[in-house]
Amino acid sequence: MNDAALPTHDPRSGLHSLYRDHRSWLESWLRRRLGNAWDAADLSQDTFLRVLASAQPVAQLHEPRAYLVTVGKRLLANFHQRRSLEQAYLNALASLPEASVPSPEQRWLLLETLQALDELLDGLPPLVRRAFLWSQLDGLGYREIAERLQVSERTVKRYMAQAYEHCLLVDL
Amino acid sequence: MSTTAPELARAAARWLALLESGAATEGDHAGLQQWRDSNPQHEQIWQKAQLLRQRFTDLPPALAMASLDRPQPGRRTVLKRALGVAALVPAAWLISRQLPIDVWRADLHTATGERRQVPLADGSALQLNTATAVDVDLARSRLTLVDGEMALTVPGAGAMTVQTRYGQVIVSQGEVCVRQLSSNCLVSVLKGAVQVRDLRGQLVTLQGGRQARLQADGLGASTPFDVLQLDWREGVLTAQNQGLGDFLRELERYRPGVLRWDPSLEALRVTGSFQLADTERILSLLASTLALEVQSRTRYWVTLMPRKKLA
Repeated sequence: MNDAALPTHDPRSGLHSLYRDHRSWLESWLRRRLGNAWDAADLSQDTFLRVLASAQPVAQLHEPRAYLVTVGKRLLANFHQRRSLEQAYLNALASLPEASVPSPEQRWLLLETLQALDELLDGLPPLVRRAFLWSQLDGLGYREIAERLQVSERTVKRYMAQAYEHCLLVDL
Repeated sequence: MSTTAPELARAAARWLALLESGAATEGDHAGLQQWRDSNPQHEQIWQKAQLLRQRFTDLPPALAMASLDRPQPGRRTVLKRALGVAALVPAAWLISRQLPIDVWRADLHTATGERRQVPLADGSALQLNTATAVDVDLARSRLTLVDGEMALTVPGAGAMTVQTRYGQVIVSQGEVCVRQLSSNCLVSVLKGAVQVRDLRGQLVTLQGGRQARLQADGLGASTPFDVLQLDWREGVLTAQNQGLGDFLRELERYRPGVLRWDPSLEALRVTGSFQLADTERILSLLASTLALEVQSRTRYWVTLMPRKKLA
Protein backbone atom coordinates (compact mmCIF):
# COMPACT_ATOMS: atom_id res chain seq x y z
CA MET A 1 0.00 0.00 0.00
CA ASN A 2 1.29 3.38 -0.95
CA ASP A 3 0.39 5.83 1.79
CA ALA A 4 2.06 8.74 0.13
CA ALA A 5 -0.42 8.68 -2.72
CA LEU A 6 -3.39 8.98 -0.38
CA PRO A 7 -3.65 12.69 0.35
CA THR A 8 -4.33 13.72 -3.25
CA HIS A 9 -6.77 10.82 -3.85
CA ASP A 10 -8.46 10.75 -0.50
CA PRO A 11 -12.01 11.71 -1.41
CA ARG A 12 -12.38 13.43 1.96
CA SER A 13 -9.60 15.91 1.37
CA GLY A 14 -10.98 16.72 -2.08
CA LEU A 15 -14.40 16.98 -0.60
CA HIS A 16 -13.18 19.47 1.94
CA SER A 17 -12.15 21.98 -0.69
CA LEU A 18 -15.16 21.19 -2.83
CA TYR A 19 -17.38 21.88 0.15
CA ARG A 20 -15.52 25.05 1.11
CA ASP A 21 -15.52 26.47 -2.42
CA HIS A 22 -18.97 25.53 -3.63
CA ARG A 23 -21.33 24.89 -0.72
CA SER A 24 -22.89 28.34 -0.56
CA TRP A 25 -23.16 28.46 -4.33
CA LEU A 26 -24.93 25.08 -4.37
CA GLU A 27 -27.21 26.11 -1.54
CA SER A 28 -28.35 29.22 -3.32
CA TRP A 29 -28.85 27.18 -6.50
CA LEU A 30 -31.05 24.77 -4.56
CA ARG A 31 -32.84 27.57 -2.72
CA ARG A 32 -33.95 29.12 -6.00
CA ARG A 33 -35.53 25.80 -6.92
CA LEU A 34 -37.00 24.90 -3.58
CA GLY A 35 -38.11 28.32 -2.44
CA ASN A 36 -36.87 27.90 1.12
CA ALA A 37 -33.52 27.93 2.86
CA TRP A 38 -33.77 24.99 5.23
CA ASP A 39 -34.70 22.38 2.64
CA ALA A 40 -31.92 23.80 0.47
CA ALA A 41 -29.41 23.43 3.31
CA ASP A 42 -30.53 19.83 3.90
CA LEU A 43 -30.32 18.94 0.27
CA SER A 44 -26.93 20.55 -0.16
CA GLN A 45 -25.64 18.42 2.74
CA ASP A 46 -27.14 15.35 1.10
CA THR A 47 -25.49 16.27 -2.16
CA PHE A 48 -22.06 16.42 -0.58
CA LEU A 49 -22.67 13.16 1.25
CA ARG A 50 -23.67 11.57 -2.03
CA VAL A 51 -20.46 12.84 -3.63
CA LEU A 52 -18.46 11.47 -0.71
CA ALA A 53 -20.11 8.08 -1.08
CA SER A 54 -19.60 7.92 -4.82
CA ALA A 55 -16.65 6.24 -6.45
CA GLN A 56 -15.71 9.36 -8.35
CA PRO A 57 -12.46 10.84 -6.92
CA VAL A 58 -13.42 14.39 -6.09
CA ALA A 59 -9.93 15.82 -6.70
CA GLN A 60 -10.14 14.82 -10.35
CA LEU A 61 -13.31 16.74 -11.08
CA HIS A 62 -12.81 19.15 -13.93
CA GLU A 63 -16.13 20.88 -13.58
CA PRO A 64 -17.04 20.56 -9.91
CA ARG A 65 -20.12 22.77 -10.15
CA ALA A 66 -21.53 20.87 -13.11
CA TYR A 67 -21.00 17.66 -11.18
CA LEU A 68 -22.65 19.04 -8.04
CA VAL A 69 -25.60 20.23 -10.09
CA THR A 70 -25.99 16.79 -11.63
CA VAL A 71 -26.08 15.15 -8.23
CA GLY A 72 -28.20 17.98 -6.82
CA LYS A 73 -30.78 17.63 -9.61
CA ARG A 74 -31.16 13.95 -8.90
CA LEU A 75 -31.68 14.62 -5.20
CA LEU A 76 -34.06 17.44 -6.02
CA ALA A 77 -36.19 15.14 -8.16
CA ASN A 78 -36.11 12.59 -5.38
CA PHE A 79 -37.11 15.26 -2.88
CA HIS A 80 -40.09 16.35 -4.98
CA GLN A 81 -41.06 12.74 -5.46
CA ARG A 82 -41.11 12.13 -1.71
CA ARG A 83 -42.92 15.38 -1.08
CA SER A 84 -45.65 14.61 -3.57
CA LEU A 85 -46.06 11.11 -2.17
CA GLU A 86 -46.33 12.51 1.33
CA GLN A 87 -48.90 15.04 0.18
CA ALA A 88 -51.01 12.42 -1.59
CA TYR A 89 -50.77 10.19 1.45
CA LEU A 90 -51.83 12.95 3.84
CA ASN A 91 -54.74 13.87 1.57
CA ALA A 92 -55.86 10.26 1.49
CA LEU A 93 -55.58 10.01 5.27
CA ALA A 94 -57.59 13.17 5.69
CA SER A 95 -60.41 11.79 3.60
CA LEU A 96 -60.68 8.66 5.75
CA PRO A 97 -63.34 8.67 8.43
CA GLU A 98 -61.82 9.09 11.86
CA ALA A 99 -62.58 5.55 12.96
CA SER A 100 -60.49 3.97 10.23
CA VAL A 101 -57.45 6.24 10.39
CA PRO A 102 -54.41 4.22 11.46
CA SER A 103 -52.54 5.07 14.66
CA PRO A 104 -49.69 7.63 14.41
CA GLU A 105 -47.11 4.88 14.60
CA GLN A 106 -48.80 2.88 11.85
CA ARG A 107 -49.07 6.03 9.79
CA TRP A 108 -45.31 6.53 9.85
CA LEU A 109 -44.51 2.91 9.14
CA LEU A 110 -46.93 3.00 6.28
CA LEU A 111 -45.43 6.18 4.87
CA GLU A 112 -41.95 4.67 5.02
CA THR A 113 -43.10 1.55 3.24
CA LEU A 114 -44.88 3.62 0.62
CA GLN A 115 -41.78 5.75 0.05
CA ALA A 116 -39.65 2.67 -0.42
CA LEU A 117 -42.14 1.22 -2.90
CA ASP A 118 -42.46 4.56 -4.66
CA GLU A 119 -38.73 4.60 -5.19
CA LEU A 120 -38.82 1.01 -6.31
CA LEU A 121 -41.44 1.80 -8.96
CA ASP A 122 -39.68 4.98 -10.04
CA GLY A 123 -38.71 4.91 -13.69
CA LEU A 124 -41.55 2.67 -14.85
CA PRO A 125 -43.68 4.10 -17.65
CA PRO A 126 -46.94 5.51 -16.17
CA LEU A 127 -49.24 2.91 -17.74
CA VAL A 128 -47.03 0.02 -16.64
CA ARG A 129 -46.92 1.41 -13.15
CA ARG A 130 -50.67 1.84 -13.00
CA ALA A 131 -51.39 -1.64 -14.35
CA PHE A 132 -49.01 -3.11 -11.80
CA LEU A 133 -50.59 -1.20 -8.91
CA TRP A 134 -54.10 -2.20 -9.94
CA SER A 135 -53.02 -5.79 -10.01
CA GLN A 136 -51.03 -5.78 -6.76
CA LEU A 137 -53.16 -3.49 -4.62
CA ASP A 138 -56.67 -3.94 -5.94
CA GLY A 139 -56.25 -7.49 -7.12
CA LEU A 140 -57.66 -6.65 -10.55
CA GLY A 141 -57.38 -9.35 -13.19
CA TYR A 142 -55.58 -8.77 -16.49
CA ARG A 143 -58.84 -8.58 -18.40
CA GLU A 144 -60.20 -5.83 -16.22
CA ILE A 145 -56.92 -3.92 -16.39
CA ALA A 146 -56.91 -4.32 -20.15
CA GLU A 147 -60.43 -2.88 -20.35
CA ARG A 148 -59.60 0.03 -18.12
CA LEU A 149 -56.43 0.92 -19.98
CA GLN A 150 -57.94 0.16 -23.39
CA VAL A 151 -55.14 -2.20 -24.32
CA SER A 152 -55.03 -5.93 -25.03
CA GLU A 153 -54.58 -8.56 -22.33
CA ARG A 154 -51.29 -9.49 -23.97
CA THR A 155 -50.10 -5.96 -23.44
CA VAL A 156 -51.13 -6.08 -19.79
CA LYS A 157 -49.16 -9.28 -19.38
CA ARG A 158 -46.15 -7.60 -20.94
CA TYR A 159 -46.59 -4.60 -18.64
CA MET A 160 -46.68 -6.88 -15.63
CA ALA A 161 -43.55 -8.74 -16.67
CA GLN A 162 -41.83 -5.41 -17.24
CA ALA A 163 -42.83 -4.13 -13.81
CA TYR A 164 -41.76 -7.30 -12.06
CA GLU A 165 -38.45 -7.34 -13.88
CA HIS A 166 -37.82 -3.72 -12.96
CA CYS A 167 -38.63 -4.28 -9.27
CA LEU A 168 -36.64 -7.48 -8.99
CA LEU A 169 -33.61 -5.85 -10.56
CA VAL A 170 -33.73 -2.82 -8.29
CA ASP A 171 -34.30 -5.05 -5.33
CA LEU A 172 -31.49 -7.48 -6.11
CA MET B 1 -24.70 -23.02 -13.89
CA SER B 2 -24.91 -19.41 -12.97
CA THR B 3 -27.14 -16.82 -14.54
CA THR B 4 -26.75 -13.06 -14.56
CA ALA B 5 -29.02 -10.91 -12.40
CA PRO B 6 -30.94 -9.36 -15.34
CA GLU B 7 -31.57 -12.81 -16.81
CA LEU B 8 -32.84 -14.10 -13.48
CA ALA B 9 -35.11 -11.10 -12.97
CA ARG B 10 -36.50 -11.42 -16.47
CA ALA B 11 -37.21 -15.12 -16.16
CA ALA B 12 -38.91 -14.76 -12.77
CA ALA B 13 -40.91 -11.76 -14.04
CA ARG B 14 -42.20 -13.79 -16.98
CA TRP B 15 -43.32 -16.61 -14.75
CA LEU B 16 -45.10 -14.20 -12.43
CA ALA B 17 -46.87 -12.45 -15.27
CA LEU B 18 -47.98 -15.78 -16.74
CA LEU B 19 -49.22 -17.07 -13.41
CA GLU B 20 -51.22 -13.97 -12.65
CA SER B 21 -52.72 -13.82 -16.11
CA GLY B 22 -55.04 -16.64 -15.07
CA ALA B 23 -54.10 -18.45 -18.27
CA ALA B 24 -51.45 -20.70 -16.79
CA THR B 25 -52.04 -24.37 -17.54
CA GLU B 26 -51.10 -27.30 -15.37
CA GLY B 27 -48.16 -27.74 -17.69
CA ASP B 28 -47.09 -24.19 -16.93
CA HIS B 29 -47.25 -24.85 -13.21
CA ALA B 30 -45.14 -27.95 -13.66
CA GLY B 31 -42.76 -25.95 -15.81
CA LEU B 32 -42.43 -23.32 -13.13
CA GLN B 33 -41.75 -25.94 -10.47
CA GLN B 34 -39.11 -27.45 -12.69
CA TRP B 35 -37.53 -24.07 -13.29
CA ARG B 36 -37.42 -23.40 -9.55
CA ASP B 37 -35.97 -26.81 -8.78
CA SER B 38 -33.37 -26.71 -11.52
CA ASN B 39 -31.18 -24.02 -9.98
CA PRO B 40 -30.90 -22.59 -6.44
CA GLN B 41 -30.60 -19.11 -7.94
CA HIS B 42 -33.99 -19.58 -9.58
CA GLU B 43 -35.59 -20.57 -6.30
CA GLN B 44 -33.88 -17.65 -4.59
CA ILE B 45 -35.22 -15.06 -6.98
CA TRP B 46 -38.62 -16.71 -6.87
CA GLN B 47 -38.68 -16.30 -3.09
CA LYS B 48 -37.59 -12.69 -3.52
CA ALA B 49 -40.46 -12.14 -5.92
CA GLN B 50 -42.89 -13.56 -3.37
CA LEU B 51 -41.55 -11.13 -0.77
CA LEU B 52 -42.01 -8.31 -3.25
CA ARG B 53 -45.65 -9.25 -3.77
CA GLN B 54 -46.12 -9.52 -0.02
CA ARG B 55 -44.96 -5.95 0.42
CA PHE B 56 -47.90 -4.81 -1.67
CA THR B 57 -50.41 -7.25 -0.22
CA ASP B 58 -49.76 -5.99 3.31
CA LEU B 59 -50.78 -2.44 2.46
CA PRO B 60 -54.24 -0.96 2.96
CA PRO B 61 -55.21 -0.79 -0.73
CA ALA B 62 -57.01 2.54 -0.80
CA LEU B 63 -54.33 4.51 1.01
CA ALA B 64 -51.56 2.86 -0.95
CA MET B 65 -53.34 3.41 -4.24
CA ALA B 66 -54.03 7.07 -3.52
CA SER B 67 -50.37 7.58 -2.62
CA LEU B 68 -48.58 5.49 -5.24
CA ASP B 69 -50.92 6.14 -8.15
CA ARG B 70 -51.08 9.86 -7.49
CA PRO B 71 -51.03 12.20 -10.43
CA GLN B 72 -47.37 12.82 -11.11
CA PRO B 73 -46.11 16.26 -10.06
CA GLY B 74 -45.69 18.98 -12.60
CA ARG B 75 -48.85 18.01 -14.40
CA ARG B 76 -52.06 19.92 -14.21
CA THR B 77 -53.20 21.55 -11.05
CA VAL B 78 -53.61 20.97 -7.37
CA LEU B 79 -57.32 20.57 -8.01
CA LYS B 80 -56.75 17.55 -10.19
CA ARG B 81 -54.60 16.01 -7.51
CA ALA B 82 -57.27 16.51 -4.88
CA LEU B 83 -59.93 15.03 -7.13
CA GLY B 84 -57.74 12.08 -7.96
CA VAL B 85 -57.24 11.24 -4.33
CA ALA B 86 -60.87 11.56 -3.41
CA ALA B 87 -61.91 9.35 -6.28
CA LEU B 88 -59.38 6.70 -5.41
CA VAL B 89 -60.55 6.00 -1.89
CA PRO B 90 -63.17 3.30 -2.38
CA ALA B 91 -65.86 2.60 0.16
CA ALA B 92 -64.56 -0.85 1.07
CA TRP B 93 -61.78 0.65 3.14
CA LEU B 94 -64.20 2.88 5.00
CA ILE B 95 -65.30 0.30 7.52
CA SER B 96 -67.86 1.12 10.17
CA ARG B 97 -68.01 4.80 9.55
CA GLN B 98 -70.47 6.81 11.53
CA LEU B 99 -72.59 9.42 9.93
CA PRO B 100 -75.36 10.95 11.98
CA ILE B 101 -78.22 11.59 9.67
CA ASP B 102 -80.72 14.22 10.49
CA VAL B 103 -82.44 14.10 7.16
CA TRP B 104 -85.83 12.50 7.00
CA ARG B 105 -85.37 10.59 3.81
CA ALA B 106 -82.22 8.81 2.73
CA ASP B 107 -81.09 5.87 0.69
CA LEU B 108 -78.32 4.24 2.66
CA HIS B 109 -76.05 1.52 1.49
CA THR B 110 -72.85 -0.28 2.37
CA ALA B 111 -70.28 -1.90 0.13
CA THR B 112 -69.08 -5.45 0.58
CA GLY B 113 -67.08 -5.61 3.78
CA GLU B 114 -68.40 -2.29 5.01
CA ARG B 115 -70.54 -1.73 8.08
CA ARG B 116 -72.30 1.41 9.00
CA GLN B 117 -74.05 2.76 12.04
CA VAL B 118 -76.68 5.42 11.54
CA PRO B 119 -78.41 7.19 14.42
CA LEU B 120 -81.79 8.27 13.10
CA ALA B 121 -83.38 11.60 13.88
CA ASP B 122 -86.30 9.98 15.74
CA GLY B 123 -83.95 8.40 18.31
CA SER B 124 -83.77 4.95 16.72
CA ALA B 125 -80.42 3.43 15.87
CA LEU B 126 -79.90 1.69 12.57
CA GLN B 127 -76.96 -0.48 11.66
CA LEU B 128 -76.21 -1.78 8.18
CA ASN B 129 -74.20 -4.92 7.67
CA THR B 130 -72.08 -5.69 4.59
CA ALA B 131 -73.59 -5.16 1.12
CA THR B 132 -76.83 -3.70 2.39
CA ALA B 133 -79.25 -1.12 1.09
CA VAL B 134 -81.93 0.55 3.22
CA ASP B 135 -84.29 3.35 2.27
CA VAL B 136 -85.26 5.61 5.14
CA ASP B 137 -88.54 7.47 5.27
CA LEU B 138 -88.96 8.89 8.75
CA ALA B 139 -92.04 10.90 7.86
CA ARG B 140 -93.86 7.58 7.47
CA SER B 141 -91.76 5.84 10.18
CA ARG B 142 -90.73 3.33 7.59
CA LEU B 143 -87.46 1.65 6.63
CA THR B 144 -87.25 -0.47 3.53
CA LEU B 145 -84.67 -3.23 3.54
CA VAL B 146 -83.83 -3.48 -0.13
CA ASP B 147 -81.02 -5.95 0.30
CA GLY B 148 -78.61 -7.29 2.90
CA GLU B 149 -78.95 -7.18 6.66
CA MET B 150 -79.80 -4.53 9.22
CA ALA B 151 -80.17 -4.15 12.95
CA LEU B 152 -82.63 -1.68 14.42
CA THR B 153 -83.05 -0.43 17.98
CA VAL B 154 -86.21 1.49 18.74
CA PRO B 155 -86.29 3.25 22.14
CA GLY B 156 -90.07 3.35 22.30
CA ALA B 157 -90.98 6.89 21.38
CA GLY B 158 -92.85 5.61 18.34
CA ALA B 159 -93.11 2.44 16.28
CA MET B 160 -90.95 1.88 13.24
CA THR B 161 -91.91 -0.39 10.37
CA VAL B 162 -89.34 -2.35 8.41
CA GLN B 163 -90.60 -3.23 4.96
CA THR B 164 -89.08 -6.38 3.44
CA ARG B 165 -89.74 -8.34 0.29
CA TYR B 166 -91.92 -10.81 2.22
CA GLY B 167 -93.80 -8.57 4.60
CA GLN B 168 -93.37 -6.05 7.40
CA VAL B 169 -91.73 -6.06 10.80
CA ILE B 170 -93.21 -3.54 13.20
CA VAL B 171 -91.01 -2.56 16.14
CA SER B 172 -92.53 -0.39 18.85
CA GLN B 173 -89.82 -0.92 21.42
CA GLY B 174 -86.92 -3.28 21.21
CA GLU B 175 -84.07 -4.50 19.13
CA VAL B 176 -84.33 -6.60 16.00
CA CYS B 177 -82.16 -7.93 13.19
CA VAL B 178 -83.58 -8.44 9.74
CA ARG B 179 -81.72 -10.23 6.98
CA GLN B 180 -82.95 -10.47 3.43
CA LEU B 181 -82.14 -13.84 1.89
CA SER B 182 -82.95 -15.03 -1.60
CA SER B 183 -86.21 -16.83 -0.80
CA ASN B 184 -87.09 -15.54 2.65
CA CYS B 185 -86.31 -12.95 5.24
CA LEU B 186 -84.85 -13.89 8.60
CA VAL B 187 -86.22 -11.91 11.56
CA SER B 188 -84.39 -12.20 14.91
CA VAL B 189 -85.66 -10.39 17.98
CA LEU B 190 -83.02 -9.48 20.55
CA LYS B 191 -85.07 -7.41 22.95
CA GLY B 192 -88.74 -6.64 23.32
CA ALA B 193 -91.25 -8.13 20.95
CA VAL B 194 -92.15 -7.31 17.35
CA GLN B 195 -95.22 -7.66 15.20
CA VAL B 196 -94.72 -9.38 11.88
CA ARG B 197 -97.24 -8.89 9.08
CA ASP B 198 -96.90 -11.27 6.16
CA LEU B 199 -97.91 -10.60 2.58
CA ARG B 200 -101.45 -11.87 3.27
CA GLY B 201 -101.92 -9.38 6.08
CA GLN B 202 -101.66 -11.91 8.94
CA LEU B 203 -100.20 -10.37 12.08
CA VAL B 204 -98.04 -12.51 14.39
CA THR B 205 -96.02 -11.54 17.47
CA LEU B 206 -92.42 -12.67 17.68
CA GLN B 207 -90.91 -12.59 21.17
CA GLY B 208 -87.39 -11.64 22.24
CA GLY B 209 -84.84 -14.43 21.91
CA ARG B 210 -86.75 -16.02 19.00
CA GLN B 211 -86.25 -15.92 15.27
CA ALA B 212 -88.40 -16.94 12.33
CA ARG B 213 -88.33 -16.87 8.54
CA LEU B 214 -90.78 -14.64 6.76
CA GLN B 215 -91.68 -16.19 3.41
CA ALA B 216 -94.14 -15.68 0.62
CA ASP B 217 -96.60 -17.98 2.39
CA GLY B 218 -96.26 -16.34 5.80
CA LEU B 219 -94.13 -16.53 8.91
CA GLY B 220 -92.49 -19.89 9.60
CA ALA B 221 -92.24 -21.51 13.01
CA SER B 222 -90.14 -19.55 15.49
CA THR B 223 -87.01 -21.02 17.07
CA PRO B 224 -84.62 -19.81 19.74
CA PHE B 225 -81.44 -18.50 18.23
CA ASP B 226 -77.82 -18.10 19.12
CA VAL B 227 -77.05 -14.47 19.81
CA LEU B 228 -73.49 -15.09 18.58
CA GLN B 229 -74.75 -15.00 15.02
CA LEU B 230 -75.47 -11.30 15.48
CA ASP B 231 -71.90 -10.49 16.50
CA TRP B 232 -71.43 -8.73 13.16
CA ARG B 233 -72.79 -5.66 14.91
CA GLU B 234 -69.52 -5.56 16.83
CA GLY B 235 -67.55 -6.38 13.71
CA VAL B 236 -66.94 -9.96 14.77
CA LEU B 237 -67.71 -13.28 13.15
CA THR B 238 -68.11 -16.00 15.75
CA ALA B 239 -68.19 -19.74 15.20
CA GLN B 240 -68.75 -22.47 17.73
CA ASN B 241 -67.86 -25.85 16.36
CA GLN B 242 -69.30 -24.73 13.03
CA GLY B 243 -68.75 -26.60 9.77
CA LEU B 244 -66.06 -24.83 7.74
CA GLY B 245 -68.33 -24.73 4.68
CA ASP B 246 -71.03 -22.84 6.57
CA PHE B 247 -68.42 -20.58 8.11
CA LEU B 248 -66.90 -19.73 4.73
CA ARG B 249 -70.30 -19.08 3.16
CA GLU B 250 -70.84 -16.54 5.93
CA LEU B 251 -67.35 -15.08 5.54
CA GLU B 252 -67.86 -14.71 1.79
CA ARG B 253 -70.48 -12.05 2.39
CA TYR B 254 -67.77 -9.79 3.77
CA ARG B 255 -65.18 -10.30 1.06
CA PRO B 256 -65.18 -8.76 -2.38
CA GLY B 257 -64.04 -11.16 -5.04
CA VAL B 258 -64.05 -14.91 -5.25
CA LEU B 259 -63.50 -17.30 -2.36
CA ARG B 260 -63.47 -20.97 -3.27
CA TRP B 261 -62.65 -24.06 -1.31
CA ASP B 262 -62.06 -27.71 -1.92
CA PRO B 263 -65.22 -29.74 -1.07
CA SER B 264 -63.16 -31.96 1.22
CA LEU B 265 -62.76 -28.99 3.57
CA GLU B 266 -66.51 -28.53 4.00
CA ALA B 267 -66.76 -30.71 7.12
CA LEU B 268 -63.80 -29.34 9.10
CA ARG B 269 -64.89 -27.66 12.32
CA VAL B 270 -64.23 -24.05 13.26
CA THR B 271 -64.40 -22.39 16.66
CA GLY B 272 -63.41 -18.82 17.43
CA SER B 273 -64.15 -15.12 17.18
CA PHE B 274 -62.75 -13.36 14.14
CA GLN B 275 -62.42 -9.66 13.38
CA LEU B 276 -64.34 -8.95 10.21
CA ALA B 277 -62.27 -5.84 9.48
CA ASP B 278 -59.46 -8.09 8.25
CA THR B 279 -60.75 -11.09 6.37
CA GLU B 280 -57.27 -11.82 5.01
CA ARG B 281 -56.22 -12.42 8.54
CA ILE B 282 -59.18 -14.71 9.17
CA LEU B 283 -58.06 -16.83 6.25
CA SER B 284 -54.50 -17.03 7.49
CA LEU B 285 -55.77 -17.91 10.98
CA LEU B 286 -57.79 -20.74 9.47
CA ALA B 287 -54.72 -21.89 7.59
CA SER B 288 -52.64 -21.92 10.74
CA THR B 289 -55.16 -23.88 12.81
CA LEU B 290 -56.73 -26.24 10.26
CA ALA B 291 -55.13 -28.57 7.76
CA LEU B 292 -55.58 -26.23 4.85
CA GLU B 293 -53.62 -23.74 2.84
CA VAL B 294 -54.62 -20.46 1.25
CA GLN B 295 -53.76 -20.04 -2.39
CA SER B 296 -54.32 -16.49 -3.49
CA ARG B 297 -53.77 -15.62 -7.07
CA THR B 298 -54.80 -12.10 -6.25
CA ARG B 299 -56.42 -10.53 -3.24
CA TYR B 300 -59.77 -11.12 -4.87
CA TRP B 301 -59.24 -14.65 -6.05
CA VAL B 302 -58.58 -17.01 -3.18
CA THR B 303 -58.78 -20.77 -3.04
CA LEU B 304 -58.51 -22.92 0.07
CA MET B 305 -56.98 -26.35 -0.44
CA PRO B 306 -56.19 -29.23 1.90
CA ARG B 307 -52.62 -28.87 3.10
CA LYS B 308 -50.27 -31.09 1.17
CA LYS B 309 -48.63 -33.82 3.19
CA LEU B 310 -44.91 -33.28 3.45
CA ALA B 311 -43.09 -35.91 1.49
